[in-house]
Amino acid sequence: MTRLVLWRLAFAVPLILAVTAGMFALAHASPFDPVRQYLGDRAMTTAPEVVEQIRANWGLDRPIVEQYTTWLGNLLQGELGESRSFNRPVAEIVAERLPWTLLATGCAIVLMLAGSLVVGTLAAWKKDSALDRLITGGAFANESVPVFWLALLAVYVFAVRLGWLPAGGLTDAASTTLDPLDVARHMVLPVLVLAVSQSSWLVLYVRESVIGTLREDFVVGARARGLRERTVVVRHALRSALLPFLTLLGARVPELVTGAILVETVFSWPGVASASVRAALSVDFPLLAVLTLLGTLAVLAGNLLADVAYTVADPRTRTLGVS
Amino acid sequence: MGGRIAAATLAVLGLAVLLVPLLIPVDQQLVDLRAAGLPPSLAHPLGTDEVGRDVLLRCVYGLRVSFLVGLVAALVSMVIGGLVGVLAGSFGGLPDRLLMRVVDGFSSLPHLLFGIFIVAMFAPSATAVVVSVGVTHWTTAARIVRSEVLSLRGRPFIEAAVSGGASRARVMRRHLFPHLLPHLLLATVLMVPHAIWHETALSFLGLGLPPHLASLGNMINDGQRSLLAGDWWSSLAPGLFILAPTLAVSVLSQRWRDRLNPRMRSELAL
Amino acid sequence: MRLARPLAALTVAFSLFACSAPAEPGGPAPDDTFVIGLSSEFENLSPVLGYAADGGSLMFDGLMTRAADLSLKPALAAAAPVTSEDGKTVTFTLREGVKFHDGRPLTAKDVVYTYETLLAEKTNSPIRSDYSAIEKVTAPDAKTVVFTLKYAYTPLVQRTTLGIVPDGGMEPTKPVGTGPFRFVSWTPGDKMAMAANKDYWGGAPAIGKLVVAFAGDDNVRATRMAAGEFDATILPPKAAKRFEGQQGVKVYKQDSADYRGIMFPFKEKVTGDRAIRKAFSLAMDRQAMVDTILAGAGKPAFGPISPDISWHNGEISSQTAADPAGAAKLLDEAGWIKGEDGIRAKDGLKATFTLMYPAGDSLRKELTLAAASDAKKVGLDVRPAGLDWDAIEPRMAKDALMMGYGSPFDPDYLNYELFHSAYAGQGFFNPGHYSNPEVDALLAKGRESADEAVRKEAYTAFQKAIRDDEAWTYLVFLQHVYVVRGDYQGVQQSVDAHEHATGGLFRDVHTWKPAR
Repeated sequence: MTRLVLWRLAFAVPLILAVTAGMFALAHASPFDPVRQYLGDRAMTTAPEVVEQIRANWGLDRPIVEQYTTWLGNLLQGELGESRSFNRPVAEIVAERLPWTLLATGCAIVLMLAGSLVVGTLAAWKKDSALDRLITGGAFANESVPVFWLALLAVYVFAVRLGWLPAGGLTDAASTTLDPLDVARHMVLPVLVLAVSQSSWLVLYVRESVIGTLREDFVVGARARGLRERTVVVRHALRSALLPFLTLLGARVPELVTGAILVETVFSWPGVASASVRAALSVDFPLLAVLTLLGTLAVLAGNLLADVAYTVADPRTRTLGVS
Repeated sequence: MGGRIAAATLAVLGLAVLLVPLLIPVDQQLVDLRAAGLPPSLAHPLGTDEVGRDVLLRCVYGLRVSFLVGLVAALVSMVIGGLVGVLAGSFGGLPDRLLMRVVDGFSSLPHLLFGIFIVAMFAPSATAVVVSVGVTHWTTAARIVRSEVLSLRGRPFIEAAVSGGASRARVMRRHLFPHLLPHLLLATVLMVPHAIWHETALSFLGLGLPPHLASLGNMINDGQRSLLAGDWWSSLAPGLFILAPTLAVSVLSQRWRDRLNPRMRSELAL
Repeated sequence: MRLARPLAALTVAFSLFACSAPAEPGGPAPDDTFVIGLSSEFENLSPVLGYAADGGSLMFDGLMTRAADLSLKPALAAAAPVTSEDGKTVTFTLREGVKFHDGRPLTAKDVVYTYETLLAEKTNSPIRSDYSAIEKVTAPDAKTVVFTLKYAYTPLVQRTTLGIVPDGGMEPTKPVGTGPFRFVSWTPGDKMAMAANKDYWGGAPAIGKLVVAFAGDDNVRATRMAAGEFDATILPPKAAKRFEGQQGVKVYKQDSADYRGIMFPFKEKVTGDRAIRKAFSLAMDRQAMVDTILAGAGKPAFGPISPDISWHNGEISSQTAADPAGAAKLLDEAGWIKGEDGIRAKDGLKATFTLMYPAGDSLRKELTLAAASDAKKVGLDVRPAGLDWDAIEPRMAKDALMMGYGSPFDPDYLNYELFHSAYAGQGFFNPGHYSNPEVDALLAKGRESADEAVRKEAYTAFQKAIRDDEAWTYLVFLQHVYVVRGDYQGVQQSVDAHEHATGGLFRDVHTWKPAR
């Protein structure tokens, strides 16, 4: 286990180096002028020599390798730089927004796990019934639906037409404090959409693996012992199908990141994922680079989790645990 | 959706995309301000958008643009992936291990985030979208090709050719490539819907194709503003035009996969 | 793309920052809190970095401020300044007894500090060049401030609406000013809270707590307004429609100097031809653009100075409707003959040009498409190109651009830079290399003269000259639409600028009093 973790970490270092170098090279090759982005609308009424002055103050006239090492060194020391689109330190923005992303994504994961387990097990249990076909077909269709479109439909139905839930934001505007109930109400739609959009593969996976275990000896045995059908499905089949979950979940982090970007954007959720879009639109390299790096780290953490879970869920331990 | 319905859907959409622009050539940049925001009617089955363009017609044009961008992006990723896969598979040993590490690294990156990064740094354009999708999605092709090459290497006819003194390049050209081509093509086809998805997501975020261009992502982005005012048709329709072909391809690919060898099935986790 | 943000009220929104929650019983906001929904957030809260330099910050006062009719009146200055004979020295005397929010009294040192910081190179202030006429600012005593100018610059007094910050600066996240409201908190991306300054020299505001909430999406602000979350907001006309005639809600349509028009590259063969530009302008159906794209809240535009401003020259707004026949005649006479594809050509040169627009701005996108469609009808092939500003900038000498500017204050603002040949090829000012010695002379005359009548004459002739040249094809002036809940006295309508912070209708929110 320790070796595995070390191996993963050893692999992460060159990857992160490659990612940072790649990003920096791209930014350098970019035709964009960061000073223009900083000035915004005022670029049109700012004299050219003022622009040059700002450029020099930012060290943009120095060689690229020097700029890169300075930037990387600062990153390592925890100085993430100044966001040009928010006009605030990047660290502050991340610290402020990361919890909201984690909250929404965490809730979505929990909901997705719980929902998929129920739905997938239901489909497996009623295999080949109309319900099963509906669930399987729905999961397939859902996999093809662009998440941002699903989010818009949800806004249209639940916020515009029915008026049940807010269409976005974190709290009501007039409230100057964070009321947990208020936040929860604003969280319903984004969490629901994120969970639904990510759950197709999980539903199908649960269904297949429950069907598989239902055929296995110990389940057949349990049935033969006259245990109730529900007990058989829940206690035996589902339990042994559950273990590889974490492995799969860890491997799905990139998709979660993607989903979070789109869902947070549609719902104006003040998390890091929507900040990445804002940063991209204003070519805010300091912030975008840190957020991209953060996404990469999340994926690496997911991989690590998957590996660890895989070892823990080794078939031998699994059989021992169940019997 | 059954295989036949899926195939029929693809055929109808394909024909529409090919023929409609020939039969009803409309300059998609022309607007008619006096016919803006009309709800669905006989004249405009899916209504008109906020500057008076027919939504149904624009969806067809949009699918065409999105499909082209998706196809080119898929081809780019196949070329990159194919090269890496052939190199890794035929050299074997340390180069293979190193290359596959790179593939692992690349495939573990969050694609949309990197796509956003690339587009952000190079201004939204069709080229930027193609590049951003291409360079983040070649790993699947690399894995498929590598495993094919590995399995081919052990086959008698290759061994015969090598021991017969044929050069490495010749072996690749004459023997490996014809065997790889069908796999690569299939992988490309399966990649297209994913590439379309990427294009629409980027365009939706305002980081994709030029906003006046008829593309499905742009249309959903445009429609978003009318949606809250109650004009549902201008965002609903383009979404369906993404959903239908994607679903059809995934249904068909499910069928093909069942017939293909199991190795392909596991590698093609699209 | 971020350039478009100050215009977000009428432009694209990438997010649906909405809350459509029905109003809670009794109204969600405590009675003395007034919530304003704004479309764009402030970049920063520092006047020296450009925050609300034209007034309207609510937390800061300038030496001068503007009345509703846009005339200048003293604020931190005790009276209008005294300008020396040669126009190069401007002297202000400060108002007595003004205190900053932290209790410190205002002195001339604070004013000097503000302007010196603004002008210092290391501040990187984006508005520094607006003040480039200033040679130095000095304080001979605690109540007197003297501006020494490099050249006579009459509009300097207009620039002194810049907010004054305390000597020694302030924390960027905790601004301190002398204005009617003092800073309480700022949650970036969400809202900023302010409280009434009970000791305000102009009288304590009736509104006790003021919250400025930021929501980029128009429909979202409309929904939040309808839900009672906002007490006032700015909306695009389409979204504001539902509030018209509603009980307890008032809709204010405010005229603005904010225009959209097309900037031409003059060194290019096609757009360099006056006949092309004139015909293009004749072909424009400006009324349809106002009716559909602006949902009726706007006016056709023919020049850079709005008809709502006294400097406007009425003579130039003579074209009332699109005139495709007139355009065709003009082009025929100039030798641009229609080819088989419907596109005109002259000596083998096709009448085609590219019209760029900033990709993130949907208003400009729609205007571009409408303009291209109108042009097509008279045989001009205009190709839209949605680009980012960085891609636009290097191409401005070669391609036309859908642009927006507009200041209601002094006609020297912007116009000198936009049309004077000295600014040809300089950044966004005159990238198309427009050059007309007559216009140069008129602009110089207007800038340097202190005589109102002479200035008026110069700017009237200037508007005529650029209209004759069709230096730009102006399309529309926007109207800014505000919705306010409740009945307030003291709401003063004015003419808005292209951009504003809490400016516009809300600039005088401290004088609003509930009528009930």
